Amino acid sequence: MEINPRDFREQSEKACHDATLRAVLDHATRYFQAKRGAALETFADRETHFARARAARLAALSRLPELLEQLEQTATAAGTRVHWAADAAQAREIITGIAQDCGAKVVVKGKSMVTEEIALNPALEAAGMEVWETDLGEFIVQLAGEPPSHIIAPCIHKSRADVAALFRAKLGLLGLSGLDGLPGQENLSDAASIPELTLLARKALREKFLAADLGVTGVNIAVAETGSVILVENEGNIRMSTTCPPVHVAVMSLEKVAATLEDAADILRVLPRSATGQKMSSYVSVLTGPRRPNEQDGARETHLVILDNGRSEVLAEPILREALLCFRCGACLNSCPVYQTIGGHAYGSVYSGPIGALLSSLLLPAQDTRDLPFGCTLCGACKRTCPLGIDHPRLMLRLRERVCQSSGTGLAGAAHSFLALHPLFYRLAVGAARAVDPNLDLLPRLPGFPGLANFVDTRQPPELKKPFSAQLLRLRKKQARTKKPHTNKGDA
Amino acid sequence: MRITLMIPCLVEDCLPEIGLAVVSVLERLGVGVDHPRVQTCCGQMAWKTGDVARARALALRSLELFAGPAPVVCPSGSCAKMLRTYPELFAPGTPDHARALDLAGRVFEFCEFVLSLPGAPDIGAEWNVRAALHRSCQMDGSDAPQRLLSAVRGLTLLEPERPERCCGFGGLFSLQFPAVSESLLEDKAHELLALDPEILVSAEPSCLMNISGYLARLGRPVRPLHAAQALDHGLDLGLQGALTGALTGGPTWR
Ligand code: SF4
Repeated sequence: MEINPRDFREQSEKACHDATLRAVLDHATRYFQAKRGAALETFADRETHFARARAARLAALSRLPELLEQLEQTATAAGTRVHWAADAAQAREIITGIAQDCGAKVVVKGKSMVTEEIALNPALEAAGMEVWETDLGEFIVQLAGEPPSHIIAPCIHKSRADVAALFRAKLGLLGLSGLDGLPGQENLSDAASIPELTLLARKALREKFLAADLGVTGVNIAVAETGSVILVENEGNIRMSTTCPPVHVAVMSLEKVAATLEDAADILRVLPRSATGQKMSSYVSVLTGPRRPNEQDGARETHLVILDNGRSEVLAEPILREALLCFRCGACLNSCPVYQTIGGHAYGSVYSGPIGALLSSLLLPAQDTRDLPFGCTLCGACKRTCPLGIDHPRLMLRLRERVCQSSGTGLAGAAHSFLALHPLFYRLAVGAARAVDPNLDLLPRLPGFPGLANFVDTRQPPELKKPFSAQLLRLRKKQARTKKPHTNKGDA
Repeated sequence: MRITLMIPCLVEDCLPEIGLAVVSVLERLGVGVDHPRVQTCCGQMAWKTGDVARARALALRSLELFAGPAPVVCPSGSCAKMLRTYPELFAPGTPDHARALDLAGRVFEFCEFVLSLPGAPDIGAEWNVRAALHRSCQMDGSDAPQRLLSAVRGLTLLEPERPERCCGFGGLFSLQFPAVSESLLEDKAHELLALDPEILVSAEPSCLMNISGYLARLGRPVRPLHAAQALDHGLDLGLQGALTGALTGGPTWR
């Protein structure tokens, strides 16, 4: 599937006509929101903890160059090889190089948005390697040949029956039917239970872990103080990816650094609660360098790839830099009425929903992302939800300003503003409209607003009436004539 | 006390009855109302399309219109919010920035203002009616409409399943993403209809227009009223109405 946010408007208009997708999204986003709500309700001193997490993220951003240098030193001292990647192409090159150096044939991956961002899988596959996503959701979208549609729930758009059908088709092709103690693939019905499906996937993935030469993961937090990489997850597959294969590559976008372990703890207190409504995720791995001589497990060789890919430019933008605070909990996606309606794929990029529209606009070519900041009603549900206090609507407006500066507002917008600036013309224009078209029947045919026809189709438009100011004046005169006493003395 | 009334362009030309209800309520509560003419647009549309230069020009017009120490009251959460945004349009330290800050500190959304008056939230209104409230995301989480309406004697305040969810209007959004906008509106309309209300109340005229327009097309019209209209009618029916009489002498929507 080619993904490009250029078609965002078209794709989102199409997505909301897909009744099945809407039903699945509605169910899933409500489920996430309910779980999260319940977790936050019992989270004592919630606001304090949110503020501490925000402070930790702010501290990281304000001292970024210094902390990244420190991270390089501490990670190197722990035995990790650190690589700097200016952009996606360079990151792909570095990781493919590492894979080739260790003669990798099979690569297992833990769920990570950043490796999606740099389109790593196709690069490794082009270099002749077999690449396996090991997160259940990622595994499912990989089998389907689709990009993830949610930051923390990549296959949120798929129903249980979709998954069963996919497994029937794809795992059958892979010759993995007839698993011990499980029904064979021909018996896998659409009503297969989630544990049943999970077991099937687990069985398939086990073999890949054991065969893997290289494990690639993202990074939730990199600790400058210790050179550690922290990864949170619920399935255990990330831990397997970092410990089974002899070589581990962790890929981080440069803003993921935290100054100290204490800052990392402040972040960890909030991240799982906001993401999945858990006090803590089932697995938290803190990895500091490769396996030491007396240790039983862990990769023998560890790499850390630090990716910029446009972020240092964003950091210099006074309002927009706030988007880099995000730690990808995904809560704003679930709260967004637009995301709830169109899902993640319509955004045409790795990152979707409110934060996705912001990040894609900041990281991808401007000509491809012009529509993203406009696909938002500015309702602020995201801002109210974000534990880090990111003001998404304000950032959307700033992005709109950038689009407007590069291409100007539409004709109709310009005309409206001209008239509004010149009160006399404004009144004349409204007056003229009133005479010609009091019921606003002509409205849909005005040039510049193709959406008007639909708007008027689905909603009875208001009529133009005798203006408020004229009516008030008339009533005031009547009031003065009848001298009807009022509780107040004054009058305009 | 006197206030300056800021009338949104939608109210001026399409929903004037809302403006009249605002004047009627305020005057009956002992507040004098000045309405400077000629108001056009607060610049919200330009601001939300990213046209900051035009928004700034329109803001300068508003700074002239609403100069002076009187509180500025506006029957729209989104326009009130726009007026509060003006300081962002001017460089800190400039005289215009100072004027914008001064104005931002004096702006009240209608319900917020009424709530600040002595005696509120019970202003003596009474109405036996089932009212569905659309909070409007443009109110920035203010609960002023809920508090005022809950204090109307006899009024049953009903809120939809997801009271804070957007109705899908979003100004330009409804024109650029018509199908998405309609989907959100559909969700909102059904949650509201499930309440079986007699009237639909909101403090945001644009949401009110959006939702009621859809309900009319659905063939399930529910009388849409701005909070000011609901309070005005409640005052007519209550004790206060009998004592003082309204500006308009009857419900403004008739
Ligand atoms: S913007 Fe906030 S709510 Fe959205 S994913 Fe990032 S941290 Fe979570």
